[in-house]
Amino acid sequence: MLEANGLMVFYENMLALNNVHLRCKKEEIVGVFGANSAGKSTLMYTLSGIMDDIRKKEAMAGGERITVLGEIKYLGREIGALKPSKRAREGIILCPERRRIFRESSVMENLRIGGYLSTAAQASETIDYVFSLFPALKNLRKRIGGFLSGGEQQMLAIGRALMAQPKLLLLDEPLLGLSPLMQATLVRSTRVIRDQRKISLIVTEQYARPVLPIVDYAFILENGTAVLEGNREELMGNPDVRAAYFGVN
Amino acid sequence: MDIIIYGIINSVALAIMALGFALVYGISRVPNFAHGSIYVLAGFITWSFLRTLGFPYFWSVIITMLIVGVIGALLYRFILIRVRGMAISEIIASYAVGLAILEGLRWGGFRGMSYTLPVFAEGSVIIGGVPVDFQRIIMVFAGVGIFIGLYIFTHYTRIGLALRGMAQDERAALMLGIDSDLMAVVSMILGAMLAGLAGILLLPLGNIVVEAGYNVLILAIAVCIVGGLGSWAGAVLAAFLIGFAQILTVVYLGSHYQMVVALLAIILTLILKPSGLFGMQKQLEERV
Repeated sequence: MLEANGLMVFYENMLALNNVHLRCKKEEIVGVFGANSAGKSTLMYTLSGIMDDIRKKEAMAGGERITVLGEIKYLGREIGALKPSKRAREGIILCPERRRIFRESSVMENLRIGGYLSTAAQASETIDYVFSLFPALKNLRKRIGGFLSGGEQQMLAIGRALMAQPKLLLLDEPLLGLSPLMQATLVRSTRVIRDQRKISLIVTEQYARPVLPIVDYAFILENGTAVLEGNREELMGNPDVRAAYFGVN
Repeated sequence: MDIIIYGIINSVALAIMALGFALVYGISRVPNFAHGSIYVLAGFITWSFLRTLGFPYFWSVIITMLIVGVIGALLYRFILIRVRGMAISEIIASYAVGLAILEGLRWGGFRGMSYTLPVFAEGSVIIGGVPVDFQRIIMVFAGVGIFIGLYIFTHYTRIGLALRGMAQDERAALMLGIDSDLMAVVSMILGAMLAGLAGILLLPLGNIVVEAGYNVLILAIAVCIVGGLGSWAGAVLAAFLIGFAQILTVVYLGSHYQMVVALLAIILTLILKPSGLFGMQKQLEERV
C-alpha cells in the first residue's frame, strides 16, 4: 500500500529523519514507536505532505530551511511531489498530534467540515458510522469543540479523519495524555476501524505497550533513524526494546 | 427617533462595507487593503456599463459583480500568494494595488460630480415621523439578506464549511484535503464581490468619488478592529456601535467629526482591549 524508502528530512542542518524505510501493507496496522523528538511527527507530516506546507511557510517567512529527500510510493505510484490536498484526495489522511479539532465549531460541524472530500451519501453514512463507533459523541453533537475533554476530542479527531474517506489513516500519538481507560477504548476502536472500513493504519506512540496488541508490524525510531523493525513477537523478544518501550524487564 | 432610524441605517451601511474585509481576513488572514478601491471600482464599472454602454441596470450590476470577483481572484493568484504569511508585505502589496486602482481611476478622468448611480427605486416613506427614502430601506434589507445568505453559506454548504475550517486551523483543514490556496482564492472572490456589492448598494446615495475608497477602507478596518479581527459577529456589533456613535456625533457635534469617531474607536480599542470586542479566544491565546 505505502512504501517509503530512504526518507531524509533536514531542518537546516539538523537531521530529523535519517534514511527511514517504512512500509505498510493493505489492511495492516503499523506501529511507529519512539521517544519525544525521535521524528515520529516529522515522519507523519512527510508522508501526508503537510511537511510540504510547513517547508513553504518557513521559506516564505525566512525561517528554517527544510529539505525532504527520498521516495514515497503509494498504491504503486510516487507521490513525493503531490500537494497535501492531492494526497488527501488519494486517501492519505492524517489525524494529527494534539488533535487540532476546530475549536469554535460544534462536534457535528467538525464532522461535516471533515466531509469535504466525501459525497453527500458518503458523508451521512460516515457520520452514522462515527456515532456507532463512538456512542459518546452522539450526545455531544451540539457541543462546541473547544469544550470537549481530551478523550472526546481525540474521538472527534478520528471521526473527522474518517469523514475524509481515508484508505490509509495516519494516527499521530492518538493516546497522548489520555486516561488508561480512554486509551483502551481508542485502541479497541482502532482495530474495529481497520476491520470494518478495510483501511490501513499507521499509528505512532511514545509508549508501545497499549498499542502493541493490535499492530501487525512495527518500527522503532531513535533520533530519526529506524533502528529496529519487526512483527509483534520479534519486538517483544528483544530485551532492549522490552525495557525501553514496553516497561517490562 | 431620527437618531435611531438613521443610526440603524448608518450601522447597516458600515457593516456592509466591513463585511468583505472581515471575511477575507477571517478566512485567509490576508488583510485586504485593496478593499476600498474595489468598492469604488465597482461603482465606476457599473456606471460605465449603465451610462456609456447603455446596459440595463440589473445586468450592469451582475456584470460588475463578476468583474470584481475576477479582480479579487487575480489579486490573490498573482500578487498576494507571493507574500502569503508575511503580514506587513500583504498590507503593502494589497494597499499598493488599491492605490494603483484608485489613482488610476483619477488619472483616467473619473473625477468630478457627474458620476452618479441612479437609485433602485424613487420615493420615500415616513417611519415614526422621519422621512426615509427607498434606497436606504432597500439597503438595510439587502444588508440583512447578505448576512443571512452568508450565514447559510458558511454553515450548510461544503465550500462554506471548508472555509470555516480553514479560518479556524489552516493546517488541520489541509489534512482533510481542503486546498488552502483554492479556499483563499474563494475567500478573495467573495470578499471582492461583497466590496463591490457594498459599493453598488451605497454609492447611489451620493456621488462616486475616488476619495470614498480611502474612507471605506478606514471604516472597514475600524469596524474590524473594534469587533475583533476575524470575528464576523464582532464586526456586526462594532458596526452598530460605531454607526450610532457617528450619528450621535453628527447630531450633537457636527458632521465633519464623523471620521474622527471611527479613528478614535480604533485607538481606544487598541489601548483598552487590543483583541477587540469578540476576540475572546485570541485574547486567551495572547495570555498563554
